[in-house]
Amino acid sequence: MTLSHKQGDPLKPARIVVLGAGGFLGRRLLAACAASGVEAEGLGSRDLDLTDASAGAQLAQLLRPRDVLVFLAALTPDKGRDSSTLMRNLAMGRAVCEATRSVELAHLVYASSDAVYSFATTLICEETPAIPTDLYGAMHRTRELMLAAEAKVPLAILRLTAIYGADDTHNSYGPNRFARQAHKDGRIALFGNGEEMRDHLYVDDAIDLMLQAAMRGSTGLLNLATGKSESFRAVADLVAAQAGRHVEIVPSARQNPATHRHFDVTNLMRAFPGTRFKPLADGLVATVGAIRG
Amino acid sequence: MKPTVGFAGMTHLGLVSAAAVAGRGFKVVCFDSDQALVDRLTRRQWPVLEPGLDELIRSNGARQHFTAAPSDLAACDVIYVAPDVPTDDQGRSDVSGLTALVRGTAAVMDPGAVMVVLSQVPPGYTRTLGVLSPERLYYQVETLVFGQAVERAMKPERTIVGCADPARPLDARLRAVLDGFGCPILPMRYESAELAKISINCCLVASIVVANTLAELCEQIGADWSEIAPALKLDRRIGPHAYLAPGLGIAGGNLERDLATVQRLAEIQGTEAGVVAAWLRNSRYRRYWPLRQLQERVRAVDPVIGILGVTYKENTHSIKNSPAVALIKALTGCRLAAFDPVVRASAEWHPRLTVADNPLAACDGADAVAIMTPWPLFRTLGPADLAQRMHGRVVIDPFAMLDRAAAAAAGLEHVVLGAPLPGDQQ
Repeated sequence: MTLSHKQGDPLKPARIVVLGAGGFLGRRLLAACAASGVEAEGLGSRDLDLTDASAGAQLAQLLRPRDVLVFLAALTPDKGRDSSTLMRNLAMGRAVCEATRSVELAHLVYASSDAVYSFATTLICEETPAIPTDLYGAMHRTRELMLAAEAKVPLAILRLTAIYGADDTHNSYGPNRFARQAHKDGRIALFGNGEEMRDHLYVDDAIDLMLQAAMRGSTGLLNLATGKSESFRAVADLVAAQAGRHVEIVPSARQNPATHRHFDVTNLMRAFPGTRFKPLADGLVATVGAIRG
Repeated sequence: MKPTVGFAGMTHLGLVSAAAVAGRGFKVVCFDSDQALVDRLTRRQWPVLEPGLDELIRSNGARQHFTAAPSDLAACDVIYVAPDVPTDDQGRSDVSGLTALVRGTAAVMDPGAVMVVLSQVPPGYTRTLGVLSPERLYYQVETLVFGQAVERAMKPERTIVGCADPARPLDARLRAVLDGFGCPILPMRYESAELAKISINCCLVASIVVANTLAELCEQIGADWSEIAPALKLDRRIGPHAYLAPGLGIAGGNLERDLATVQRLAEIQGTEAGVVAAWLRNSRYRRYWPLRQLQERVRAVDPVIGILGVTYKENTHSIKNSPAVALIKALTGCRLAAFDPVVRASAEWHPRLTVADNPLAACDGADAVAIMTPWPLFRTLGPADLAQRMHGRVVIDPFAMLDRAAAAAAGLEHVVLGAPLPGDQQ
């Protein structure tokens, strides 16, 4: 399974509605819509509590027929990893499903996560079985299934790998945390020696692909990743080199075996030919620079 | 007196096999119900490209006779039923045409003659046919290899014959035909023979996947598979003829069919066959190796890509599951020029594809060239000539058709399967 496009070339939709507009990705997506001249409406948790029992009906009131809905809203692991967080996230998914049954939308783009995959497979593609190993991954996988089964609208599922970039409010292990640690403390703390290989996707690249999917009426499943993985140690070294001060990189005794993740992005190349990703070094320059101010 | 041999079904397998039997001195009746096909065969217009086929049939002369009259098969002592069995995109065989031909042939053959099913069939097929008494019905494993079919048909390594009861002697007339090839004959029960063919192909796929897996590692860590493979071939447990050349995934349809058959049987029988899924996954992954290399290396906007070769391998007209066609279809953001010695690339594959008259014309102004089929013709290309005709420097050459040292000397970014990847990007 992969992504197929309704339109060969991007077309401006009637309107894009962004759920999760106050988040890291949501703000960037709205800015990208504005830059592209696409009418867009952002809905954040202050506008609409998607976990509320009546959220589906409320959302339906805010939507118009032919809208393109981009579903970014989620409580990320830094907000909680427990079953209560899981259930609140699923309630958001249910609300979206309900709304799509009331309003005839043109298209739904769901931002899922590579957390749906286990680390048993190290080279990931869209055919890799989604076998989540934590509640956050299970949440995204369940939402995918809910939307596929119940949302009455053409659906694109984009599974995003780790996103980084300036203004990321999350503090998960990786580029943004390293940049903050380097700026604030002059040291970056690694698990082990940071041997784990991961694919790091610059936020603007993710947004560009997301917007393309929205503007081309894409349906199906696609992983959003660069296809190039680097170790956390390499990321830390790059961050340290940009920090403008001496930064100590501090390994630690490894508690768990190192895991690695790579992406086969063949389907992405086929879906979006000519896509160029910002090299990690360049993306980190921008990220660290923003944090340094 | 030598038996007369009949062949029913004059597509690739039947035509080549009949020519080989005639080449061994037997009188052969070649039947196909398609009168137009028979007319073309009579005019020596072969429906397939196989090195040596024309010469062989010419030398057979009157021993090999083409006919659309089924009654001509009545004069035969041994009749091979040998139509090509079509497969779908999932590798599933459609044996309905074969079964119809078996029944039609059984209806016209001499009551004393024997029938040999030569087409590839799923295990269990022959025993359940029920058209002839068991002692008159055999299954023989075909070993057709596109592009090498004549050589292999004339000089088989062995002949595997499926029988209702392998303890009984083979029919003397069939034995006489098989003895004409001077190779070991292995009678076995139908089911074993049917599965033997599949087993051979599974072993080949396993070897190819090993080569692909390790060749990719070579590319990443600075090793060179072309240095490693000869060492493996000197290992007696592996052997000098082992399939160790890395490729772009399995194609052509036959191997895919056999893997699908194993998967289906394993599902029904409840046996463990997860490795087959892994082989297929590796094959799909390798198919797009050229696309990944182009994506990595070509930076031009709206680039022009030259494609050399569109058939799935050399010396064949087949494009079934061809990596070249898959690449052409995937390069939607590019302009393409394609050349193949025997197949004309189709505009249906790509909206901005032009067909070149010769290999160098396909390279004119190209930002990159991909040599997708190892046609011998492409070995004659001079890297300096390519470099002169191209706009860019990237040559994706999975099968190392260009001399690697000469390509480097010409300043080409020459990318070969299993070799250390050039680091510089255009």
